[in-house]
Amino acid sequence: MSAGAAIGVEALDVSYGRTPVLREVDLTVPAGRFVAMIGASGCGKTTLLRAMSGFVAPQRGRILLDGRDVTAEPPERRGMAMVFQSYALWPHMTVAQYIGYGLKLRGASRADRDARVDAILDLIRLPGFGDRKVTALSGGQRQRVALGRALAVDPPVLLLDEPLSNLDAKIRLAMRHEIRSLQRRLGLTAVHVTHDQEEAMVMADEIVILDAGRIVQQGAPQDVYRNPNSPFVASFLGADNVIAGVTRRDGATTTLALDNGASVALPRPAAEGAHVVHFRSDAVRLDENAVGDAPALRLEGRIAQASYPGGRWRYEIETPAGRFLVDDAREAAPGQSVRLAIPADELHIFARP
Amino acid sequence: MQNISRIGLVLVAPALALVALLFLYPLGYSLLAAFTREGALSLDHFAKAIELYSTDILFTLVMVILATILIAIVSIAIAGAITLSETPWLVTALKALYRWPLFIPFIVAAQCMRTFLAKNGLMNNTFVSLGLIEPLQATSFLDWRGIVATFVWKQAPFVALLLAGAMASLDRATIEAARNLGASRLRLLFEIVLPQVGRTLMVALVLSFVTMLSVLSVPMMVAGSQPTMITVDMAFRINAYGDYAVANALGVISYAMTAVAAWFYLRHNLREDRA
Repeated sequence: MSAGAAIGVEALDVSYGRTPVLREVDLTVPAGRFVAMIGASGCGKTTLLRAMSGFVAPQRGRILLDGRDVTAEPPERRGMAMVFQSYALWPHMTVAQYIGYGLKLRGASRADRDARVDAILDLIRLPGFGDRKVTALSGGQRQRVALGRALAVDPPVLLLDEPLSNLDAKIRLAMRHEIRSLQRRLGLTAVHVTHDQEEAMVMADEIVILDAGRIVQQGAPQDVYRNPNSPFVASFLGADNVIAGVTRRDGATTTLALDNGASVALPRPAAEGAHVVHFRSDAVRLDENAVGDAPALRLEGRIAQASYPGGRWRYEIETPAGRFLVDDAREAAPGQSVRLAIPADELHIFARP
Repeated sequence: MQNISRIGLVLVAPALALVALLFLYPLGYSLLAAFTREGALSLDHFAKAIELYSTDILFTLVMVILATILIAIVSIAIAGAITLSETPWLVTALKALYRWPLFIPFIVAAQCMRTFLAKNGLMNNTFVSLGLIEPLQATSFLDWRGIVATFVWKQAPFVALLLAGAMASLDRATIEAARNLGASRLRLLFEIVLPQVGRTLMVALVLSFVTMLSVLSVPMMVAGSQPTMITVDMAFRINAYGDYAVANALGVISYAMTAVAAWFYLRHNLREDRA
């Protein structure tokens, strides 16, 4: 089994016709790491993956594999195996022919090919499926076979283009762990594109968030989640309750004040001026005692709507500062008055542009 | 429920009537004329047709099969280049050019070929002026080669059109997955793309085969001499002798050739459905 290779992307510009898709993208993926790229539709994440694989030619910039410039090389010479959202199965082949195709291209003997295909079938937990037609498989099996096709040629890099998007929810959860553990076991470098934030966070060592053709933040999932660096990243990672406020510094403390008079001392100093504040629905407490004496933004409100998505209640709460979504374990009826407390360290504060 | 099925019947009635009137009735009539003599069942007309035209029957079959094979090769090359080429100007030029012969009737195509392939035609003149051949070496191609060339020129775009359409509707990822593993263009075409559009290719070739069997103008204009195709013989039996019986017997023979093509097609389809 090969170990992974490091990928470098330097100042990459890609456009389709006159429409720029990627601008000045720099990215480093160390060997053996699992990186997930997320972003809204059209942000350029798939284009970046396709540029790495060689299916899209950049206008400017370089792509490096273990330091070697592969920008001008065609996809087949890059040693990056790609798994596609649509599985890319060849309906006229059996599972064994499909998985063994890359080996056939490399001139492996029949016996070597059969042995390797059997090993891969064990790896993807489909032993004995070699003689089946690929069209006779279920969705999860198809994606495992597609993964097997990519892994059979022993690639140093695995590129995953939304491989789980077509699977139903339960299989998707299982496949996340399967892909992740395979990648760890084989020591491959993996780049995964997804629009599913949770999928990215669960699978990856590092997440990369793209917006409008640029990388806006990159880091370990927990770091990016806790410290989004822009309103876009905060919203994208679920902190989409927004309030406007103004910060003032008084000696060592910075205070955030809302228009309606509510205020809170912030745990970290911030520049003075107008700000937008993002917070998650599950950061809000309806029970004030849960916060205790810790600094928190407190607001009066009234429950406008209630729903139960499972585990916790989800409320839409009307306050003088706006309407917010709040998740809470306690049941409350619409129309009921409540007091919200949002712990100060759960507030993500950004200067208002 | 009964009402709905009655409405359904009314809806398909015009189509059924047309098929019956324009196809089944003449077919029945033609079969009757071919298989009867003075009111009694007889194979005499077939005996005569085979006695007079067995060479032409064979010639027809060889011409059409040869043309079908060449059409397959040309159309696979065109559709494959359009689907897999990464040279944008080549794809654009090919897309713009290859469809033209589709809009030209057989009779005009035959006329074009006459001026192109004749001894003093455009092709030989070009070869001579390029110094490729001496004027004395120029020979006419207006024989079986002319027929095959006209058929291929006229029908390859039709097959290529259907084939390129089928290839364009393939999941692009199936092609990219193979390229990603290192498959060359030729392998992509023959191992990944063609097997997925085999059914379309088969349909298009069978349709071409049947069309070519029924063309009168091309063998008549491009290659006047013996042997010729049976459409010419049919026209001759009718125009010169008013001999509808032998013409119909030849017609039934061409039905039989079509039926063989249809049988191949159906068998292929059944096998694919079972797989």
